[in-house]
Parts: sequence; C-alpha cells; structure tokens
Amino acid sequence: MKKIAFPPALFLILVLFSTSVALGQVQTRIRAIEASNVGFGIDPSLRDVHRELGSLFSFTSYRLLRDETLNLLPNQKVLIQGHHPGRFMEVTLVGLHRDVAKLRIRVIREGVDILNTEIRLSPGRTVLIGGPRRGEAVVIFAVSARF
Amino acid sequence: MKNSCSSVSKFLEKYFDQEVKEKERLLIEGHLQDCSACRDALRSMEELRALLKVPVEEAAQKEDFPWVWQKIEKEIHLQEKLKWWQSLHSWFDVSTLFRRRVWIPAAATFVVLLFITAQIIFKKTPSYAGASVVEYLDSPTCNVMVYQSEEPNVTVIWLFEGPEKGTTPS
Repeated sequence: MKKIAFPPALFLILVLFSTSVALGQVQTRIRAIEASNVGFGIDPSLRDVHRELGSLFSFTSYRLLRDETLNLLPNQKVLIQGHHPGRFMEVTLVGLHRDVAKLRIRVIREGVDILNTEIRLSPGRTVLIGGPRRGEAVVIFAVSARF
Repeated sequence: MKNSCSSVSKFLEKYFDQEVKEKERLLIEGHLQDCSACRDALRSMEELRALLKVPVEEAAQKEDFPWVWQKIEKEIHLQEKLKWWQSLHSWFDVSTLFRRRVWIPAAATFVVLLFITAQIIFKKTPSYAGASVVEYLDSPTCNVMVYQSEEPNVTVIWLFEGPEKGTTPS
C-alpha cells in the first residue's frame, strides 16, 4: 500500500512546490518613456497610460523607449540597461503580501545611486519614476505589477 | 533378482509415455524380454494409441486453435493491465528504497527543505492596506519629489536632475 501511495504523494508534493514557487513570483512591467516638448503625439503602445501622463505632466510628446516584463522572484536583483550608457535601473522584489509587492528600485548613473527607493505595488497601480534627462527630453519609467 | 509383473506393471504406463527414469527404464526393458504378458500389455497400449490418434488428429484439425489462443491472450492481457498508480510505480521503481528504508531520512530532508522554502516564499509581511506607496526614498545627488494620486491610481517620483554632461541644453 505504501509503495503504491508513494508516487502520487511525490507528485502532489512537486505540484505544491511548483505552485508555491509560481505564487512567489511577481510579473513586473517596466516601460521607459521619453517625454518632451519637442513635437506632438503619443506612442500607440502608451495608449493605456495616456490619461495618467496627460493629467500629471504637461509634455507634448511621449515616446516608448523600452518595454520590459520581468518575472521577479524574492530577493532576485534584475538590472535593466538605461537610456544612456552607464545608466542602469536595478529592481529587486523584497516582499510580497497578498496583493502587494514590495520592490526596491535603484537608479544608477555611472556607478552612483541617483535614486534609491522602496515602493509597494498592487495590481492596477502604476509608479512613475521620472526626471533623468535625455537631451532636451526626460525619461519616465512606468512601473506596474501583475501577480 | 527378477522383477515381478506386479512391480513392473505400475511403471508400464509411465514407460509407454516415456516418463520413467533411466534406472526404471532399464529394469522394465529387462523384464519385458522375459515376460510375454507385459509385452502384450505394452502392445495393447500402442494399439490403443494408434486407434485414438487418427480421430483425435482429425478433430484437432477441425478446431480453430488460433481463435481460441487469441481469446486466451486477450484474457491474459486484461488480467495483466496495471492500474495507473501501479504503472507510475513501475516507472519510478522505488521498491528497493522501501525495502532498505533509506527513504525515511530522504523524505524527512525533503520535508524540512520544503518547510524552509515555504517560509522564505510565504514570508509574512505586515498588511499594507492604506499605507503609502513609497516606503523609502533616498537620493544623494538630486532633489526628489513624490506625488501620490488616487485617481488615476498613480504615484510619481520625480528626480530633479541637473543637465546631462556632454549635452547641449536648448
């Protein structure tokens, strides 16, 4: 009887283990947007955040530079190449509670942290990190999570 | 010592069917040389077999043995068909582990590891309902502003960065 029960038990344990790993994962979308007053228009891929951008900023042009979707595991550091050489964004999932993911974000310029923050993301909420310059424009990172 | 007919006759049928041992065969054949009654009995058996052989062979030819064998084979396969967990068990074949009981420490180790992993993954954190989105913020080089808007559901962190090196401001 024990012999027969072992494989299903093993299978069940593996399923539970893989589910727990999947549950601990947070899908984070990071979009780098170039905002400027040079020209007019919005990138078609930014239609979903057009309203938010329009209500918060007075730029006339929004262009998508990069769109990254990261599957973050707890305490896993992910480095994203910035809009200029020597610029990086480091994202780490530091906590997860029900529908809130806690992320540590570092914006690094030539080896120096220009921003070090911890944010709490829930599904449907977007955090915009803006300000880094790109010529006459500025870069805005739109960070959202799904889990 | 001479073998009597009574002691030989009980082996005679076996001898006829070639089922006797070498020693018995020699004894019977020695006796048959001297005993006409036993020779007659043996001859009768041979005649009887010859009489039966022809009708039995004819009847056997009429029978459809392949069909019968197919049915038997099907029946064997039905009995041999394993249940899914038995099949799975045969795939993994961990019976030796059970016999040796080495699975006990292995399973215990696995459970401990699973427990530790679950603790890390499901690490309890305090509820954040109603708390601010930005928990911590630091910028050693720039001024930073945080703006939290509920409608739309957006938080803005704005870095007041100085002009970039090597770029010409407009």
